Amino acid sequence: MDHITDKENRQGVPVFQTPRNGFAVPSPSQTTRVWTSPDNEWKVTTVKKPILNSSEIDAATEKLGIPIPEMIFGNNQVKIENVPSGLCICFSALDALDLVDKTGSRDGLVKVAYAKEWMDSREKSPHINDDVKGIVKPFDWTYTSAYKGDTTVKGVLADPWVEDKDVILPMELLSRPDPILFFDDVCLYEDELGDNGIANFSVKIRVMPERLLLLSRLFIRVDDVLFRVRDTRIFVEFSQGVLVREYKAHEETYDKVKKRVPIGSQDYSQNLRDSNWVVKNIACSKTVHEIIELRK
Amino acid sequence: MPGLVSSLDLDECIERLYKRELLPEVTIEALCSKIKELLIKESNVVHISAPVTVVGDIHGQFYDLLEIFRIGGYCPDTNYLFLGDYVDRGLFSVETITLLVCLKLRYPTRIYLIRGNHECRGITQSYGFYTECVRKYGSANVWSYFTDMFDFLTLSVVIDNSIFCVHGGLSPTIHSIDQIKIIDRFREIPHEGPMADLVWSDPEESKPDFSLSPRGAGYTFGLSIVKKFMDRNDINHILRAHQLCQEGYEVLFDDRLSTVWSAPNYCYRCGNLASVLEVGINGERFFNVFDAAPENEEHSQMLVEDPNVATLGLPQPQPVEYFL
Repeated sequence: MDHITDKENRQGVPVFQTPRNGFAVPSPSQTTRVWTSPDNEWKVTTVKKPILNSSEIDAATEKLGIPIPEMIFGNNQVKIENVPSGLCICFSALDALDLVDKTGSRDGLVKVAYAKEWMDSREKSPHINDDVKGIVKPFDWTYTSAYKGDTTVKGVLADPWVEDKDVILPMELLSRPDPILFFDDVCLYEDELGDNGIANFSVKIRVMPERLLLLSRLFIRVDDVLFRVRDTRIFVEFSQGVLVREYKAHEETYDKVKKRVPIGSQDYSQNLRDSNWVVKNIACSKTVHEIIELRK
Repeated sequence: MPGLVSSLDLDECIERLYKRELLPEVTIEALCSKIKELLIKESNVVHISAPVTVVGDIHGQFYDLLEIFRIGGYCPDTNYLFLGDYVDRGLFSVETITLLVCLKLRYPTRIYLIRGNHECRGITQSYGFYTECVRKYGSANVWSYFTDMFDFLTLSVVIDNSIFCVHGGLSPTIHSIDQIKIIDRFREIPHEGPMADLVWSDPEESKPDFSLSPRGAGYTFGLSIVKKFMDRNDINHILRAHQLCQEGYEVLFDDRLSTVWSAPNYCYRCGNLASVLEVGINGERFFNVFDAAPENEEHSQMLVEDPNVATLGLPQPQPVEYFL
């Protein structure tokens, strides 16, 4: 075979900066981006910082009471504000993690695929048990969270959302190629589940002239066991002063989802790593629509 | 027999690899077959002498591997011990492992490669190496050559009879280092047993003994286990990799155990530091901390334009995206 060279030397704007500052602080500097509507009624803020350092991690671990994910973007934030009413919807990692089952007793503990095989072989070698004492504090290590963001009014936690079974997201309007005035994609946390899969929580937002859409997605794959997706969409039609929040929970076994990978695919693992593909090929177990009408 | 690899060829391979060129498939096949002959002679516990520079997880971050050589010195001027996890997650696993294989063949007593939990068939199918091989070579052949070769990598190294080095950690079935020597290591990493524990287990400060992971498989080990292991084997330090450290390294159990992490800005987005551990002739340890290599920025545009990147679980920094 001929010698191959990979695609290389592409020109472009760096998407992350890593100043070579040696020993001091992790490199990518903080970026805060703000968009404000022309009438100053709506404001969107995104904050991106490096993963927490070890003292921040210690503090967060103590506060939450569970080991925190390996990649914890604890200072990242996505915020939508309605300035006149003081309504604010904010997404942050530590608040999302606070909703994880911290004992494993609420939702039951997920086990890795080879847990039974592993435990059986352990029991066959009783001499090894002398040194083995108990389980490290059980908790939902998949970091499943039904987090839909924190809603505050004038700085106070509130729940102004009202369930509305008739409301739907206007997919047609959202599919139009309207100019995007502001876009960001902010990771809150990610964990490789000790190389047993992935848990990734990230929030995307795009603002068009007349509306905005936010998608908060928690994507969980436990290899050979299950898939979970928790999607929260927030839609705002600026002129109507209405906010719609759609929460969807998806869950199915790994095998069922894997069977839906097109036959002939040379590498099914690509599909199974792609949350956009998985969410189209997994059953939805729960949908909730809620609204806030600002002018009522 | 394709491509006998002479030392002259190796120098040329190494030179090309430093420029991040891919080698032809037949060369990879020959290199893997050759390195197996070399690795099969290594014990499960290789004894080496300081000075040596110890490197933790690389995960295909090829430019950061080059940065390590720039900072720590090139092979063979500096002796190296790599603690595993060469592949998966980063963009250049193929180039990374090919370079390390060539260096090992060229300077077999100057560089040692330990097996990490990613050096196996199962894990590499889920975490990117398989996908990368197929994308860069058009078939899974190269992936087969490399993963077959992984079965030959050693499991542990002891530096100057005093520092025990392994990818993950200790095992409740292994009390003495001699027990490692009798493991049949020439196989896929099993899900359970001593070989699995060595590449998978993690230290845990809150529990002194071995504990079971809440995931239903795997152990953590604590201070009393570390003390017992050190006393019984007459060693004074345990050195391992396997876990991301924001500061590039972490020292636990009153300086009895170190984690060294060598993938800066892990997955091109964590913003963490990395380090290599320089062990001196009197056993002194110095963490040489470093940041992501500047070339990563030049290639960051690849992350934007390469459709395969999204599915590798890497960042997807599209400027704008009409997501729904």
